[in-house]
Amino acid sequence: MMSKIFTASLLGMEADLVTVETDIQPGLPAMNLVGLADTTIKEAKERIRAAILNSDYPFPKHRITVNLSPAGRPKEGSHFDLPIAVGILLLGSERTARQEKTAFIGELALDGKVKHIRGALPLAMGLRERGIRRLVLPYENLEEVALLRDLELYPVRSLRESIEWCLGRREQSAYKRKKKVKRKIMDQTIDFCDVVSQENAKRAITVAAAGNHGILLMGSPGSGKTMLAKRIPAIMPEMSYTEQLEATRIYSAAGLLSQACPYIGERPFRMPHHTISRAALIGGGNRPRPGEISLAHNGILFLDEFGEFDPQVTELLRQPLEDGQVTINRAWGSVTFPCRMMLVAAANPCKCGYLGDDRHTCTCSENQLSRYLSRFSGPVLERIDLHIKVPAVPAQKLEKKTTALSTAEMKAQVRQAAMLQKERYKGTDICFNGQLTQRQIQSYCPVTASANRFLKEAYEKLALSMRTYYKIIKVARTIADLHGTDTIDAYHIAEALQYRALDRFYRRPGNGN
Amino acid sequence: MEIKEVRLDDSDYPRLLKEIKDPPNPLYYAGDLKLASERCAAVVGSRTATEYGCWAARRLGARLAESGVVVVSGMAKGIDACAHEGALESGRSEEVSHSEVGSGRTIAVLGCGIDVCYPASNRRLWKEIARKGLLLSEYPEGTEPARYRFPRRNRIISGLAEAVVVVQAKERSGALITAELAADQGRNVYAIPGNINSAYNLGSNKLLRDGAMPLVVMEDILDDMGLASSHLQKIRKDLGKDEMTLISLLEKNGEMTADQLCAATGQPPFQISGIVTILEMKGVIYTSLGKIFIAK
Repeated sequence: MMSKIFTASLLGMEADLVTVETDIQPGLPAMNLVGLADTTIKEAKERIRAAILNSDYPFPKHRITVNLSPAGRPKEGSHFDLPIAVGILLLGSERTARQEKTAFIGELALDGKVKHIRGALPLAMGLRERGIRRLVLPYENLEEVALLRDLELYPVRSLRESIEWCLGRREQSAYKRKKKVKRKIMDQTIDFCDVVSQENAKRAITVAAAGNHGILLMGSPGSGKTMLAKRIPAIMPEMSYTEQLEATRIYSAAGLLSQACPYIGERPFRMPHHTISRAALIGGGNRPRPGEISLAHNGILFLDEFGEFDPQVTELLRQPLEDGQVTINRAWGSVTFPCRMMLVAAANPCKCGYLGDDRHTCTCSENQLSRYLSRFSGPVLERIDLHIKVPAVPAQKLEKKTTALSTAEMKAQVRQAAMLQKERYKGTDICFNGQLTQRQIQSYCPVTASANRFLKEAYEKLALSMRTYYKIIKVARTIADLHGTDTIDAYHIAEALQYRALDRFYRRPGNGN
Repeated sequence: MEIKEVRLDDSDYPRLLKEIKDPPNPLYYAGDLKLASERCAAVVGSRTATEYGCWAARRLGARLAESGVVVVSGMAKGIDACAHEGALESGRSEEVSHSEVGSGRTIAVLGCGIDVCYPASNRRLWKEIARKGLLLSEYPEGTEPARYRFPRRNRIISGLAEAVVVVQAKERSGALITAELAADQGRNVYAIPGNINSAYNLGSNKLLRDGAMPLVVMEDILDDMGLASSHLQKIRKDLGKDEMTLISLLEKNGEMTADQLCAATGQPPFQISGIVTILEMKGVIYTSLGKIFIAK
């Protein structure tokens, strides 16, 4: 006697169809699990036995063999509990229509309840691609998987419910997602108009958000770098359905979704501490889980105190920043996670933080300064398009009520520029100016003759590097979009040239060079 | 570089240096020794300096050189290096190189052997001075820098010069020793006034209290030396209205951030950014440490 149940296994973010084959033969009572199952699955035996008995079903007193096919591929995860239990209980019963093209995922509690699992969405997406039409899943994962519109979902609370449904003894129609999903409203207590007299920084941030450019904020402690950075998600365009799906998929694979936050509906804002390890940043582990850069996919990765990060850790950002995805290689294969995010970095200008500050004296020695600077010459900062200085604001300015640009105004500007870009990059694999490659720059960034002359002159006079040269054009492209113009003009270039604070910041007379 | 020596009784021994109490004998040099007998002014200050101090040293160095005065300093980091650079740069700019005055003439008096570059980070400057200006030292080749040699070296700096300007000095800066020696030697001593809330200006401000002449505008020292200033910035004539507004604001306030410029002019940040870039490319202003300054 044999039964076959579909489920899936997760590797990184990719799910593969797995068939749970259960066979029962006369012999001494035993249960053997084969098919490269790891410890979490091996342990399932005990959970399953208890769950079946506590759901008032008999546990077969024969020799049971469970094979997870394809048997050659390693598998992990507690979501195999439910399919294995269902496989055992359906032994000997007639295969019903409901079992066709149906897959099961879920973890079992000892009392027979079905519990929340990690990676439900990527599992469901993988199953959908492989022709599965129906999915039995834990109730707690419903909201998350319900992002998929073309899969029939049958949420269950207990093992008994799933068996009854399989055998056709329980009527349950597929879950229908309410048309209007209540959108969590962004925290409106923080607004850009709280940030006083940093209009230049705000302008630069608008440009960065509009074109999805990386930005480095540099300034003394207390000048408002973190305050500015935290307000960036609010001015970015709303997430599209695809973007939500991608982000939720990553969070699901990382096991970071909960009942309170079943899916990612707004742009993620990740702010890892500077002591972060390499694996935590780019992803890793024996069975790789996504790192912070992937969790920031479609959102913002904010590296506060950039100068304090271990350069060896930040160096790892090079390739992912360029490719928008990161591949983690292991002996048994590799896993790829997307990581297309906007990088926001904040740093003090020197170790003590007060270099160039009017009210404090910098106490750094020449040596300390040059050691600190060496952290900023890295290739990672070369890949950040905008560098700006956030000056400290004098106290009397803080009280003065001046008209400060608000989040709503900035968002409107960003949205307009984003729309232009969407139109322009239709049919390509990019959506923002910040993602342009050098080759694409030539076709998408028409420059007027006068702007071209200006650019050439700037290249000579300001001694720009080739990489900076292209960065300037990319940023000017976004500035032109913010102004709603199609071609890049000289004054767009002139503004873009101001966002190279780092190049110019340390260019002090008196260094002898 | 070729290192030569000159003795006290030689005819080309620096004119003013002969007059001091303990003139160095012999004097080692590399470069054009004639410079040391021309009209010289010393520009000295602390090694750690603010942006303001560096700016002042640079501009003063340039103005002196443009007026035909040789700039003497100690090639230390900070103010000294800025003064040398200012003088060298005035020789680089096109409009000056055609005229008689200013060909980047500057003298560095070292506290070590001429062939030893100290501090090492000033190597480029050291080479350029040897080529275009003059390196002087009372120490023979290969003498390593030592703490006690620098104060002694300072008497040569002040000895060569008609006037000494302390640009910016902390309370216990070596520049104050130079000023004291200069006073003993009967040279004019100037100090540039600085903010009184900054430790960087304490020494130079105290010098003012003790009777040094304040350098209120760059022309002060030139007037006292009998050199009328004739230098007018030609570039400015071609500037537009917006550009002129920014320039006059900067002249009034000395240094400003882009945000302050926006607030003062009422123009949006992107407009200001554009103008700043253009002025920067014209060489009229420069930006550093997040602030905008008038260049030269």
